[in-house]
Amino acid sequence: MKRAFFLLLCILVSAYSCKKTETPAPEKTTVVFKHGKIAGDPALFQELLDEFERQNPDIDLRDEALPASTDEQHQFYVINLEGKGPEFDVLSMDVIWVPEFARAGWLRDLSHLVPEPQREEFFPGPMQAVTYREKLWAVPWYIDAGLLYYRKDLLEKHGFEPPRTWAELISISKAITAKEPDTYGFIWQGKQYEGLVCNVLEYMWSNRGNVLREGRPVLASPENIEALGFMRDLIVRHKVTPELVTTAIEEPTRHIFGNGNAVFLRNWPYAWNIFEKEGSAIKGKVGVSVLPAFEGGEHAATLGGWQLGINRYSRNPEAAERLVRFLTSPSAQKTLALTIGYKPTRKSLYEDRELRAEQPFIAGLYDVFMHARPRPVSPYYMMMTQAMQPEFSAAISGMKTPEEALRDAQKELKRIMETAE
Amino acid sequence: MRKEASARFVAPSLLLMCLVTVYPVFYVLWLSLHRKHLTFGIEKFLGVENYIALAGDARFWNALKNTAYFTATSVSLELALGLGIALLMNRAFKLKGLMRAVVLIPWAVPTVVSARMWEWLYNTDFGILNYLLGTKVNWLGSTFWAMNAAVFMDVWKTTPFVAIILMAGLQTIPGELYQAARVDGAGPWAVFKNITLPLLKPVILVVLIFRTLDAFRVFDAIYVLTGGGPAQSTETLSIYAYKVLFQTLQFGYGSAISVMVFLLVGAISVFYIRLLSRGMR
Repeated sequence: MKRAFFLLLCILVSAYSCKKTETPAPEKTTVVFKHGKIAGDPALFQELLDEFERQNPDIDLRDEALPASTDEQHQFYVINLEGKGPEFDVLSMDVIWVPEFARAGWLRDLSHLVPEPQREEFFPGPMQAVTYREKLWAVPWYIDAGLLYYRKDLLEKHGFEPPRTWAELISISKAITAKEPDTYGFIWQGKQYEGLVCNVLEYMWSNRGNVLREGRPVLASPENIEALGFMRDLIVRHKVTPELVTTAIEEPTRHIFGNGNAVFLRNWPYAWNIFEKEGSAIKGKVGVSVLPAFEGGEHAATLGGWQLGINRYSRNPEAAERLVRFLTSPSAQKTLALTIGYKPTRKSLYEDRELRAEQPFIAGLYDVFMHARPRPVSPYYMMMTQAMQPEFSAAISGMKTPEEALRDAQKELKRIMETAE
Repeated sequence: MRKEASARFVAPSLLLMCLVTVYPVFYVLWLSLHRKHLTFGIEKFLGVENYIALAGDARFWNALKNTAYFTATSVSLELALGLGIALLMNRAFKLKGLMRAVVLIPWAVPTVVSARMWEWLYNTDFGILNYLLGTKVNWLGSTFWAMNAAVFMDVWKTTPFVAIILMAGLQTIPGELYQAARVDGAGPWAVFKNITLPLLKPVILVVLIFRTLDAFRVFDAIYVLTGGGPAQSTETLSIYAYKVLFQTLQFGYGSAISVMVFLLVGAISVFYIRLLSRGMR
């Protein structure tokens, strides 16, 4: 017993002294980088971070991953930033958090990092999402947006072009499903969750509707009512969408389309690699395009993706800025695209020869990302979405008429904005 | 002197209890009297305003209704089924030990895992349930079926727990009583009604306390299965509290909901404990 204790003590002492000798020389600045779990091989990501340290020998970079759940990441940031904690310098933010954090005064103004003329180099959607009260609070890191997957082979076989309007999508779906057994027309995500809001906004925007106008809620507009009603009609009137979408999130719809049981699918870019994998039932048979629009409306895609910002309470903002600059640079974005498939926020990379040769799919995404729009850029967004989700769900599953649902959601949005002030 | 010593012995655990339960409970009570919103830097004393808002909050009443429905149906089904299984398992038969172990499997599976599993079983397209029934019902997509699907999942998962506890209770009933009853010429129903049920009553009440409180606070199972949808038809009080507290970070209002859950759970416990102590006498 005594000996075991002595041994333990020895280990502790040696571990402690070990740690001591390993601390970097005092002139090194430490930068702590917090981000969600990396989707893909973390070793490849580490290589990029090592490259940063080689280029900046005076910086000791500590990379600390948070859990994969976005809710948990949001909580972590809010609790630590509210406590004015300097424990991390650079943080990666979901596209919907930036205005919330900026309004709270938790981020450093990064307007000077991307001066006016250079902002053109990024897609407009993410730029809009990181701008709040005319200042830049983060730099877009990688991008995501909703898009339309279609069965190239089936469309060719029956002599159709990819649809540009919702009406075309319906007629193509009807024509093809009439001849192909066990095939659904068009599937998307309709469960009561954040993804439903992403889906609904795409219809509203492509019908010239919106959630906010000049900061005020305008949810119950005729355009929005028509758009939401149209989604319900896809299921009950046109019968091109199966009832099952009312409980579906991304993965179940990805499975159905991936098994070859649907002509059209709305999903995010991540699904492409799975469809093109060896052994996939639809390998080589898939095309992508921007989502259709209503007659006279503009194509729209809901923007996702992550942005890099700097903690207002960071003790080393200068070193942190260097990391943000490095990670959002064309070369780092290209590496990330090649290694873990993060889609660049810089437009020029979609012309990059090497990237296009490696991932032919990326060329088709340019048009999608150009049409990507951020969800309402508002510090109240997290509360707004909680009010919208149940109402959208009620309309989609036929429990309320679109008018009722949107009027009720509108009332709730007004209440939120009045009481939050 | 001895009293003093025992007080000293109890003191550390008492202090610990205060730190981990009493303090948080009072802190939540205190929070519920405020408007506190981290991202907006708001912290304002409101008094009972949050509770007044709750009274007029349709979403709160809907969640309360859903919670009550879930609790009542799942607990009564689990008790009825669990009692039946316990009576069956209490008989002597081959492989009795194995049977008891196998029955516990659903209970042993982590809730989140079984909820994900059931989500796929209920899937309209690939789900085995529709396959077996030859139907194409959108179980989790209809306001009627979604809640009942959640109840069914809970019954599947928790009946074994109820059965095992009740079986333990059955084994404490002396065999002589049954022999005596049989000698007196009592039929099986009379034996059940006059011997098994009264002697099992304390155990049944214990099971009811556990199950009712658990069911009333249900969160993970339903959150994973439906997320509270469609159209709020499966949103329970705990899910509502979670969304307000941790997704929109309105700590004051969220705490008020939590306090309501706490009070209701407290009331249920008091009701059962009264019943139990009356049963003991």
